[in-house]
Amino acid sequence: MSTDGRGETLPILPIDPQTLLALHRKMVTTREAERIWADMLEKREFYLMGHFGTGQEAVGVGLGHALEATDYLFPTHRGIAEYVGKGMSQDDIWAEYFTKPAGPARGKGGLHLSQYEVGLVGLVGSLGADYAISAGAALSAKLRQSGQVTVIGFGEGTSSQADLGSTMNVAALWKLPLVFAMTNNSWCELSPAEEHVCTPLVAPRADGYGIPWSVVDGNDVAAVYSAAKTVVERVRSGAGPYFLEFMSYRMGPHWSGDDGSYMCEDDLCAWRERDPIALCEQRLVEQGVASAADLAGVREAAVAEVTAAIARAGSLPDLTYDDMLAGVYTGAPAGAAREVS
Amino acid sequence: MAEMPYAAAVNRALAEELAHDERVVLLGEDVRAGMFGTTSGLVQRFGEDRVINTPIWENGIAGMALGLAITGLRPIAEVMFADFMYLAMDQIANQIASWTYMTGGQTSVPLVIRTAGGAGFAIGYNHSQVTESAFVGPPGLKVVAPSNAADAYGLLKTAVRDDDPVLVFEHKFLYFVPQEVPDEEFLVPLGKANVLRPGDDVTIVAIGSMVGKALEAAETLAAEGISAEVIDPRTLVPLDQETIFGSVARTGRLVTVEEGRKRGSVGSEIAAEVAEKVFGSLKAPVVRVAAPDIPVPPGPLAESMYVPSAERIVETVRGLVA
Ligand SMILES: Cc1ncc(C[n+]2csc(CCOP(=O)(O)OP(=O)(O)O)c2C)c(N)n1
Ligand SMILES: [Mg+2]
Repeated sequence: MSTDGRGETLPILPIDPQTLLALHRKMVTTREAERIWADMLEKREFYLMGHFGTGQEAVGVGLGHALEATDYLFPTHRGIAEYVGKGMSQDDIWAEYFTKPAGPARGKGGLHLSQYEVGLVGLVGSLGADYAISAGAALSAKLRQSGQVTVIGFGEGTSSQADLGSTMNVAALWKLPLVFAMTNNSWCELSPAEEHVCTPLVAPRADGYGIPWSVVDGNDVAAVYSAAKTVVERVRSGAGPYFLEFMSYRMGPHWSGDDGSYMCEDDLCAWRERDPIALCEQRLVEQGVASAADLAGVREAAVAEVTAAIARAGSLPDLTYDDMLAGVYTGAPAGAAREVS
Repeated sequence: MAEMPYAAAVNRALAEELAHDERVVLLGEDVRAGMFGTTSGLVQRFGEDRVINTPIWENGIAGMALGLAITGLRPIAEVMFADFMYLAMDQIANQIASWTYMTGGQTSVPLVIRTAGGAGFAIGYNHSQVTESAFVGPPGLKVVAPSNAADAYGLLKTAVRDDDPVLVFEHKFLYFVPQEVPDEEFLVPLGKANVLRPGDDVTIVAIGSMVGKALEAAETLAAEGISAEVIDPRTLVPLDQETIFGSVARTGRLVTVEEGRKRGSVGSEIAAEVAEKVFGSLKAPVVRVAAPDIPVPPGPLAESMYVPSAERIVETVRGLVA
C-alpha cells in the first residue's frame, strides 16, 4: 500500500473525558518528575544525568496509553513519558533510577528501564540497536499468533542508523505487527535536524518499502492517542507495519549537563505556545471537563506522588557487592563472577 | 555408531531440537536451502514458520534473535561466515550479552547463534577467519567451538536447551569430514573439557580445527618418547579451568593451539589464567601456537603457511621439552 508521497490523514477519534483526564495526568506526572529530577541534579543530590523530554510528553504518553499491557513498547532515551504512558509506576521508575534491588530490574536497569509485566522489555544505550530487536519481538508475536503489537520509538536523529531501512524492509516483507513511532523534535543532541536528515520529514521514506505512513501533531495528546489507537488496531488485525512521525519540539537542552545555549529563543517561544500540557488543559477547561482548580490539583498530586516515590526509593536498601556480581547469566549467583574477577 | 560429516551431525541436532521444543525457530540467510547442508531439509519437515530465511542483515539476524528470545521463543540464528559475526557486534556484545543482567533477570535470553569459521578454501580475508577470540570477553555470553561431529551435535543440543545466549563456532572445513557419532541421542555439557589423549610431559590445549592437528602432533611426539596430553576445552566460556589447571600442574608445560591469530587470542586468555593460578607448576614458558597477526592471505600456498600445522606443534613441544 503506497501513500504516493503524501502520507495518510488519520481520522481523529472522539475521546472520552476520562481518557483525556488520564492522558493529562500522565503528562503532568512526567513533566513534574523530570523537573524534580533536574532540581535534584542542580542541587547535586542525584547522580543520574537526564535526557529530558520537556515539550514532548504528549508523544510518549499518548502512545503508551493507547497500548495494551501485553503490547511491547521500545521507548526512546528521551524522558519518561513512554514509561508513564505504558503504566510503569513512579515507585518502580525511581527504585531503578536509584539502582535499588527492589526495582523491577533489581536495580540493574538504572537509566535502561524495563518492566516486563507492562510490556516494557528494555532500553538500549546504543541508538538504533532496538530496531532489529523490535522486529524480532514483532516476528515472535506473529509466529505465536498472540495478537500483540510492537512499537519501536526513536528520534529523527536515530533514523540515520542503517538498521531503520533494514527493519522497514523486513517488517514489510513479513507483514510484521510493528509500528514505527518517530518523534521529530528538530534536534539531534547539540545540532539541528537539518544537519542530520536530508529531508524535513523521514516518514515518506516508508513509501519506498510500501509501508503506509502519517504525520501527526505530536503536541496534541488527543491526536497522538487517536493516531496510535487507529494504527495499532490496524496493525493488530494483520495489515502489516505502519510509520508514524510525530512533530514536536525539544523545549530544553539535550541533557542535564548542557546549557542549551545553541538553541534559538524565538523557536522556543513559538513552541511554548504549543506546550502539549497547556493545549490539553485548554481543551479540558473548554469542554467543561475540569476547572483550573482541578488542574492545579492534578499538578499537586503529581508532585506529591513523585516526591514520595523518590523518598521511598532513596530509603530502600542498597545493592551489595554480591548483588552487583549476580545475574550475568540466568539465575547466576555472585560466585561465578567473583571466580573470574 | 554411524559415520557422518560434521555438517550432517549439526543438521541432526537441529532437527531433533526443532522436534523437541516447538518454541525453537531457525533463522538466517538461506537456511531453507542450507549453504553448507547444516540446515537443509528442515523447512520441508518443520515448515516456513520454524525455518525462516532472512534478508542479508547480520546485525538484524542477531538482533531479531534477541527480540524473539525475550518474547517467548528459542531462536537458533545462523551467521553464514564467522567473519560476518563482526557485523553483528553491537547486538552480540552490547545487547545480547547484557540483556539478562540489565533486566534483572525478568527475562532470560535463550538464543543460539551458529556460525562457520576457518580456512580451507583459500579465499582469504572475509571468508576464512575464525573469530571466537573476539567473543570470549563480553560477559553474559557462552561460547563453544566443537572440534568434531559428535561434539558439534551434542554441544549444539545443549546450547539450544540452555537459557543463556550461546555462540557456536563451527568450522566449515570440518563440515565435510565424516566422523563417528553415536546413534542414540546425547547431550554434551557446556563447560566440560575433553581429555582426548592422556600424557605426562606437556599439556596441549587445542581449539576447533586444531584438535585434529594436536592429536597428529602427539602421535609423532610419542614416537620420540615425548608424552603429550591433548585437551579440547570444547567450551571457551565458561572455560573448564579445573581440567586444564590439573593437567598443567602435572605436566608443568602448556602449549595452546588455535587457528586464530595470536594477539588477543583464546590462548592468550588461557595462558594468563595459568600464569596467575598455577605458575608454580610451570617448568617452561607457556607457548601459544596461533596464526600470524596478518589478514588471512588468499591462495593455497599462503593459507598453508598461515594456518598452524601439526609440524609446528611438534617443533614447539620439542623446544619446550628438550
Ligand atoms: C549508537 C549511538 N551513537 C550516539 C549516541 C549518543 N546520542 C545520544 S542521544 C543522541 C541524539 C539522538 O537524536 P534523536 O534520535 O533525534 O533523539 P532525541 O535526542 O532528539 O530525542 C545521540 C547522538 C548513542 N547513544 N548511541
Ligand atoms: Mg531528535
